[in-house]
Amino acid sequence: MRYLLRQLGLYVLAAWASLTLNFIVPRLAPGDPASAMFARYKGQLQPEALAALREAFGFTGGPLHEQYASYLAHLFRGDLGVSVAYFPAKVTDVLGMGLGWTALLTGSSVVVAFALGSLLGVIAAWRRGGAFDTTLPPLLVFLGAFPYFWLAMMLLYGFGFTLDVLPLRHAYDDTLAPSLSFSFLASVAEHLLLPATSIVLASVGGWMLSMRSSMIGVLAEDYVTMAHAKGLSPLRIMFHYAARNALLPNVTGFGMALGFVLGGSLLTEIVFSYPGQGYLLVQAVRSQDYPLMQGIFLTITMAVLAANFLVDVLYVWLDPRTRGR
Amino acid sequence: MALKDSSVTRMRWSRRHFLAATLLAPLAGACSGRRGARRDPGGVLTVSTEQQASWVRNFNPLLAPGNIRWPTRAGIYEPLFIYDTINGKLVPWLSTGATWSPDKRTLHCALRPGVTWSDGQPFTADDVVFTFEILGRHKALDLFGVWSFLDDIRARGADEVLFSLKKQYVPGLVYLGHQPIVPRHLWRDVKDPVTFTNERPVATGPFTEITVFQNQVYELGRNPRYWQPGKPALRGLRFPAYPGNDQATLALLHGEVDWAGNFVPDVERIFVARDPAHHHYWFPLVGGTVMLYPNAARAPLSDERVRKAISMSIDRALLVKVAMYGYTRPADATGLHDGYARFRSPEAAAVGDWITHDVARAGRLLDEAGYPRRADGLRASADGAPLTLDVHVVTGWSDWIRAAQIIAQGLRALGVTSAARAYDFSAFFEKLQKGAFDLSLGWSSDEPTPYHFYRDLMGTATLRPLGDPAARNWHRFGSEEADALLAEFEGAADEREEMRLSHALERLFATRAPVIPLFPNPSWAAFNTRHFEGFPSARDPYAKPSPYSAPECLLVLTRLTPRGA
Repeated sequence: MRYLLRQLGLYVLAAWASLTLNFIVPRLAPGDPASAMFARYKGQLQPEALAALREAFGFTGGPLHEQYASYLAHLFRGDLGVSVAYFPAKVTDVLGMGLGWTALLTGSSVVVAFALGSLLGVIAAWRRGGAFDTTLPPLLVFLGAFPYFWLAMMLLYGFGFTLDVLPLRHAYDDTLAPSLSFSFLASVAEHLLLPATSIVLASVGGWMLSMRSSMIGVLAEDYVTMAHAKGLSPLRIMFHYAARNALLPNVTGFGMALGFVLGGSLLTEIVFSYPGQGYLLVQAVRSQDYPLMQGIFLTITMAVLAANFLVDVLYVWLDPRTRGR
Repeated sequence: MALKDSSVTRMRWSRRHFLAATLLAPLAGACSGRRGARRDPGGVLTVSTEQQASWVRNFNPLLAPGNIRWPTRAGIYEPLFIYDTINGKLVPWLSTGATWSPDKRTLHCALRPGVTWSDGQPFTADDVVFTFEILGRHKALDLFGVWSFLDDIRARGADEVLFSLKKQYVPGLVYLGHQPIVPRHLWRDVKDPVTFTNERPVATGPFTEITVFQNQVYELGRNPRYWQPGKPALRGLRFPAYPGNDQATLALLHGEVDWAGNFVPDVERIFVARDPAHHHYWFPLVGGTVMLYPNAARAPLSDERVRKAISMSIDRALLVKVAMYGYTRPADATGLHDGYARFRSPEAAAVGDWITHDVARAGRLLDEAGYPRRADGLRASADGAPLTLDVHVVTGWSDWIRAAQIIAQGLRALGVTSAARAYDFSAFFEKLQKGAFDLSLGWSSDEPTPYHFYRDLMGTATLRPLGDPAARNWHRFGSEEADALLAEFEGAADEREEMRLSHALERLFATRAPVIPLFPNPSWAAFNTRHFEGFPSARDPYAKPSPYSAPECLLVLTRLTPRGA
């Protein structure tokens, strides 16, 4: 318990540090949202509009420490301000649009990649040197070496554009209204398939390799030899004796990956026009939309910290040694 | 123990099912047949113009485009007049005509009778007055800055409005005319029109009903009470969200979009060739002229000869081919784009002999101006150091970056040290406005008469000292001769007078070379005529073809018809 409390204290400190950075970093960039908005119109807006936009966005300025104080105060009240890029929508509303879709896309692909990769790693280590072990890891590492957005584009071009069997974009069919009906959920699943596959393909190799190597280490342990000698079934040794212990490093990685889920797979979302968080972030940076950027970073930070804390808890459960401390 | 064993089997069982499900899903998709071949759209036109990943509901016509959904400013709401750039005429819209008082200080604007708002209330002069009063109260909404020259606005009866101006200002007509008008009977209850999102618009335009609004797509339906009988012929408009140019182009190639306003690389091969009968494009050169701005407040660019030499070092034919896919032509010495074609004087253009590529002459001009070549072949500036002129561009604007590289290459051939420097837009724009550059690429004003174009390039009214941000005239060139002509232009009696003044301004421009014109920008527009017809084209040039050209897009929206209707 003391272990968990100490960890919790660390997380509070980390949260404060990242919130402060979150406040400072965007303000170091040159320019302001009004001129960024102007940029998107390459001269189609009158210069008078620039003055009008500055007025509309209400740049109060004020000394930095005052801005910082009100930033923290607003954060505690859950008020993230008004987005500039989507003016006058509230940041919380804008975040609400993308969060669910990103959690679905990145979350499901991380879980699938982790589960599939770990499983393949266990099998590869178990039959070390076999046909499976010599072909699959190099192949997956090869695939993983491609930038994931490139895989995404290839899949999009092949299945979406040329073969025309899967949708080119969006999270569900435009002709449907969101509901809990079967046709809507099926459409969501259909639209999820290509982007999720591209992320899984790119990341499964990493999970597999790390699982395979830690599994090999565990397999050399005496207690595994002992289990063999006891005459236990191979499946039982594989999963209950070896894999459970070999899984620890991968769980840490899984926690990290889960934390980054809300950051979205920016480029995958852009390639498939997936209405998630990643594109919002690009838009926010392009428009110098500080409130939106801060909102997005806040959710990412919180997710990373929460996921790490979850991993700590999981460790306590998986690894009895942590309980003693 | 037995329990644990069975859990392993259960896991294996479900894993097999999971695998089967993933393998079957694409096959199920394959059975449903080709999805790209779009069903009959039923008269609903699909438009691709704003690039966003998800839509935010905002139909407030007083806000800037980008914050609000297209076509709120011209399509849902409407202006008094529409300036038709291609034909150079003012098309009466909610107004039937405007006349100036003899002293050109008052504009009488007659309103169209019989126009109603989409809720059935009549449209009157009170609505117009009310709209301009909002702009006066909220500077954030006065996007054209009309209250800088407007003194007062009054209604005379239900169908006439009187604009009183602070001074003679004929070129201001178009700003008054292009303002979208909002209904007083609803908007007088709006507490803050700056943050109002107007989710259910009541307007006078052809499309006022929001039939679908989701984060990935929205659809507009036609106004049941539209004032033009039988129009619009389209049943509605549809806007799927495309986050960027690549996705928008992909949808266009796939036949999902009927009208697109995005740049398409190599359009003949990748778009037209796919379906020559239905895939069309028209990129008229009316999108404003792209300029190389030489900072006249800094030596050596304050010297006209240096500016001309730089201009002559640029291989514009190559630049247009490499940077712009051959979609445009080299600019002439008046700098005017094709939207100003009727104002362009061939004599004035001939005066500017500094627009053709001629390295030898450029070199002689630099020698003459006092920048001779040193022993190492580089040109020396006044203090003997090598003359260095870098070209500023915006990161990611690839066409401009290629253009800047060609310019720098031309300068190096001349013995001037030069490189293209790309900055993030905000940084680029700040340097541009404050005059912290030697050479910078930039756009130019794109307004109905050449008045604003030349005012921003040569007038002293917008001149600011170095270090002060300037909204216009970034290169800090002011000429009193130009001021006199511009003042005359503000009170010009008729088009003949405007023509004469424009020619004089052109001649002045061609003589002084205040900025270095590169090429006129195309207005991007691609069409799929499988289901709709009536798009503007070179053969039927009734309006600027790009959807983003408000308010001219109203001319297109009311002209298009479903095929076979």
